[in-house]
Amino acid sequence: MSNINPYIPMPVEISRVIDEVDTHDIKTFRFTFLNKEDEANFKYLPGQFAELSIYGKGESPIGIASSPTEPGYVEFTVQRAGTIVPGLVTAALHDMNEGGKIGLRGPLGHSWPIEFLEKKNIVVVGGGFAFTTLRSLINYMLHKDNRKRFDEITVIYGARTPGLLLYKDELAEWEKRDDIKTVITVDKGDETWKGRQGFVPAVCKEVAPSPYNTVAVICGPPVMIKFTLPVFFELGFYKENILTSLEMRMKCGIGKCGRCNVGYKYVCSDGPVFSLAELDELPREF
Amino acid sequence: MAISFKQIEEKLKTEAKRLLKAGTVSVVLAYGKGYDENHPMPYVAKNASDVENIVFNEFCTYNMARYLVRYPRGTKIAIAVKAADSRAVIQLVHEEKVFREDLVVMGIPVYGMKNSKTGEEIDSRTTCGLYNPVLYDMLLGEEVHGQPVVSPYDVLAPYEAMDKDERFAFWKKEFDRCIRCYACRKACPMCYCDPCFIDQNKPKWGDKSPQSSGNLMYHLTRFHHLAGRCVDCGECSRACPVNIPLYLFHKKVARECQEMFGQSAGMSIQDKPVLVNFRVDDSDKILE
Amino acid sequence: MKKTAIDQLHELAAHLMEKGTLIAPIKEDAGFNFREISDAKNVDLTFHNTIISPKSAFFPQMEDFVRYQTGKNVPEAMPVELNLQPTFLFGVRPCDVKSFQIMDIHFSGTGAADPYWRKRREATTILGYAFDLDAPVQAEEFYRTLGIGAADPEGSDIFMIRKGEDLLLKSITPRGEKLLAQMSPLTEASADEEKYFEDYIIRGRDFKTRFTCVDDKTVAKKLENIFHNSDFWTKVSSACLSCGVCTFVCPNCYCFDICDETLFGRGTRRRVWDACMFTDFTLEASGHNPRTQVFQRLRQKVNHKYSYHVRKYGVISCVGCGRCTRHCPVNIDIYSIVEAALKV
Repeated sequence: MSNINPYIPMPVEISRVIDEVDTHDIKTFRFTFLNKEDEANFKYLPGQFAELSIYGKGESPIGIASSPTEPGYVEFTVQRAGTIVPGLVTAALHDMNEGGKIGLRGPLGHSWPIEFLEKKNIVVVGGGFAFTTLRSLINYMLHKDNRKRFDEITVIYGARTPGLLLYKDELAEWEKRDDIKTVITVDKGDETWKGRQGFVPAVCKEVAPSPYNTVAVICGPPVMIKFTLPVFFELGFYKENILTSLEMRMKCGIGKCGRCNVGYKYVCSDGPVFSLAELDELPREF
Repeated sequence: MAISFKQIEEKLKTEAKRLLKAGTVSVVLAYGKGYDENHPMPYVAKNASDVENIVFNEFCTYNMARYLVRYPRGTKIAIAVKAADSRAVIQLVHEEKVFREDLVVMGIPVYGMKNSKTGEEIDSRTTCGLYNPVLYDMLLGEEVHGQPVVSPYDVLAPYEAMDKDERFAFWKKEFDRCIRCYACRKACPMCYCDPCFIDQNKPKWGDKSPQSSGNLMYHLTRFHHLAGRCVDCGECSRACPVNIPLYLFHKKVARECQEMFGQSAGMSIQDKPVLVNFRVDDSDKILE
Repeated sequence: MKKTAIDQLHELAAHLMEKGTLIAPIKEDAGFNFREISDAKNVDLTFHNTIISPKSAFFPQMEDFVRYQTGKNVPEAMPVELNLQPTFLFGVRPCDVKSFQIMDIHFSGTGAADPYWRKRREATTILGYAFDLDAPVQAEEFYRTLGIGAADPEGSDIFMIRKGEDLLLKSITPRGEKLLAQMSPLTEASADEEKYFEDYIIRGRDFKTRFTCVDDKTVAKKLENIFHNSDFWTKVSSACLSCGVCTFVCPNCYCFDICDETLFGRGTRRRVWDACMFTDFTLEASGHNPRTQVFQRLRQKVNHKYSYHVRKYGVISCVGCGRCTRHCPVNIDIYSIVEAALKV
């Protein structure tokens, strides 16, 4: 059903809901497929996204947060969208519990270019809620079958407050490992926070990853990107070696409805992953 | 007395140039050359050389008042208006979308305007039927006198002869043609809401697909939002690519408003907006 | 080559209706439009061109995807099956036929193929119809600029040319040949009429529409260069209402929205035409809208058709049919914006 017609979603069921942040507006949903052949056909790589579909509400494009090395389910971290007018789909999803059934269309878009990343050092920089597909990438790289393919891995991840950090348990796990350098920071700590305090761009400057044979993967809110990129340029990174993931309003997710273009590229089907060199070719406004 | 469109054009250009050069206004909303003589366009002149492109002929039917809301309040604007357009300006002043002191209203008294798409003559059947602007700082021609005065509501006669079921069937048939291009909304000087009700999804007032239910919801609600505000310029009907006679419904609502409250939208700068203003002697017919 | 009398058009139409679905021009209140024919007598070829383009035969304004019920637990959704009869698209002008080929690249040529477009395309035989070379050229049209002849048979399965009171029909593709052999009432055309047909096609290439030919790569590059010139874009969009008429009548515009429309627990997920000219086209759930100004949306439209589409698919997304200009409520001439851009 799913592969022949890319507009028809596959049925999935919520098997787990995790409240990620203290403001309770970001949750990770773990989905299992109701049809075994859908599960077999859903082959994805980190960086791709899927359209979460709720009939009567609509669809929402969300990055896949789980790694393909975790079989049997697929996870999405979803923020309850919209402050003035709540987004229909994410609001409905947040009101659902385990056992809730929705639809899924995917995997869509291009993944992080795994082959391009092989045999290189990887610096992953994330800010706030944009960490979801980065987490997928990190877990993929850390998996025992994959770890040898990549050299040094550094993660720099920051959120506004400790309560707003995603995947707190996993971050703690990574900090214990010696095959990944984990640097977690918050803009503003609280009484219990014993870690770093500082904005992500400043922390990047401090950590000062070397640009030689290194690819930087950066995802975050516009203000973070604006101040982080100059740091990496100063460190000597070439634009071909800085990757990011774009977001635009989407509907079909397969490059047909014409909505999500930046210049001549559709963010859904030509992206969402782009290198800065590719973005240079596109207009800076939309 | 024949209207000399050329003379009006000359005066329009002279005044526009004068106002721009003196710095009295920074924007002149007028009419300009289109892809051929019979298809002029709305035109915005910002300096003396732009003014050379201004034209005026019988196809300059556009209601330039709809562009007023695009400029930040406080921008000094000169605007060329015909009768119904001037009413729209008054209504926008009443609704505080633009300040009277920021405007230089260049009134154009004229008759014999024609629809550039169909060549049809435009008169009180599809517009308010007035010839002379009701608000102006200057007149770019002589006031029109001696032309037949026809009520803009005469065209409603066959429609008012229908009973309720016939009327619903009539409008349902008309709106089945609607392709939801929203040209009517954008052509209207009074439809400036952002977001428009039909674009909202929480709550979703009407469906997006061009079917009866969504089409009726959109149009009937829009008519209601325009009650007491529509100035009968007819732009919506001219903009419609499938010729839906929107002017019929607007005129009907306008006539009800006139009968109930003794006032039509935008006729006098002294008025207060009809449905905003409370008078002790207001008709109670609305409660029946 | 075959022919039939124009008087007998209705019999031809009735015959096609027996074989499947006939979509042909009919006269309506505001002008002509392509519709599914229920009464053969309504088929009318006395038109210049229709208001809405025939893309609606392959990409209808509403396409239902799924019927659903909003229940508490399991949404039982039924994908809508597209059961199509053989379809005949009759009386399509050469520029509109060309538009189908351009749309093919987008809908089924790259990435995931759109099953609805593809199914409809596969089920349809196109009977193209040459423009009348003796009628004066229409001011809005400029298909010659884009390399399309007024009597260009390319893309049609069967091509038709009027000669006096007769309609000449020639098969262009094997599919057309198969249909032509079965159509009735038709008679054989004479050798003179065959010559007339071929000469007409040649004459069509000399039929001048306004504007001069331009190289699409030059246009694409120039538009790219002036992207950030907001003065230019503000000036050319000063009259634009930002409605959606140009998008809806255009044979090459393909933006759509997917909406769930529910009533009392039962609903349909469908796609409907959308327009990048609409204010809320790029409005995001956060409230941020990258294109709030009219000039940004008009810039997107012009750039998409004449620059991005060239970069992506190698061809301008326009066939010069002139509908946008003809039906624009404020008479904006889109191609003149491109011309002005070339001069900046």
